[in-house]
Amino acid sequence: MEEKNLTEEESMLIIQQMINTAKHEQKDNGVGWILWGWLLLLVSVLTYINLYTRWFSTYYFWTYFGILSLLLILYSVVKYYFFRKGERARTYTGELFQKLNVGFFITIMFIIFSMNTGLNPMKGFPLLIGLYGFWILIYGTALDFKPSIIAAYITWGLGFAGFFVHSFETIMLLHGSAALVGYIIPGHIAYAEFKKLNR
Amino acid sequence: MFKDLDPILHSQLRLAVMSLLIGLKEAEFTFIREKTNATAGNLSVQIQKLKDAGYIDIQKQFKDNYPQTTCKITPAGVKAFEDYVKNLQSYLSVKK
Repeated sequence: MEEKNLTEEESMLIIQQMINTAKHEQKDNGVGWILWGWLLLLVSVLTYINLYTRWFSTYYFWTYFGILSLLLILYSVVKYYFFRKGERARTYTGELFQKLNVGFFITIMFIIFSMNTGLNPMKGFPLLIGLYGFWILIYGTALDFKPSIIAAYITWGLGFAGFFVHSFETIMLLHGSAALVGYIIPGHIAYAEFKKLNR
Repeated sequence: MFKDLDPILHSQLRLAVMSLLIGLKEAEFTFIREKTNATAGNLSVQIQKLKDAGYIDIQKQFKDNYPQTTCKITPAGVKAFEDYVKNLQSYLSVKK
């Protein structure tokens, strides 16, 4: 960039270009949402099938999902604190998301702990879906990503419906649908948009 | 009626650096150089001028035996940038 006398219009153009550049750094590629969403959907579907086939105990797949989630959390914490040197720019939204993810996973652990110590899973899973909606709304708002904002409200609708159903099979269908609508679809849209931006 | 545009900011590269940093929490020198297409020497001079004006903070450290310079806008820099944009907009609205 050569130094020269700037006109007011040129100044405004530079400001807009650089702010757009900074905005690109705040875009999420959606990979985390896709992975999380597909895992949730898979476990919901397997549990649904298991309720009919009775291959394993009711919460068999959820137990292994819980262990996998703990390992993923550990991996992301280690990656954040020990392998951040690759980041050449840090954004305010990036910092917010780090804290949001920590709070999200701690709250999930609270709900799972509750379901293992007395809370009926028929109520626990709708609570989990409600929490997903919260996370999705914050992400969508911070990234100004409409598909996530819409998905959050649909997810809440699915969670709320969960309080009125009487079978665990239906809860699993609602949970799987929430994963699809809240994470998988917006995740794939975000991924496609991210690829387009970075072509 | 019109306030003078801040001469520290009314420069192509310095304005680009400030505009970039206003949207980020902090950025490394190499990142800023890549996004502004500036040479290392010129960028170094300009960010020093911004630092001397109190508009940015510079942190220097070593990572894997390589020097690493990280820049961050200061509250004074944010204020200066906001005033600059406001004054710029009044110039542009009169021109229209």
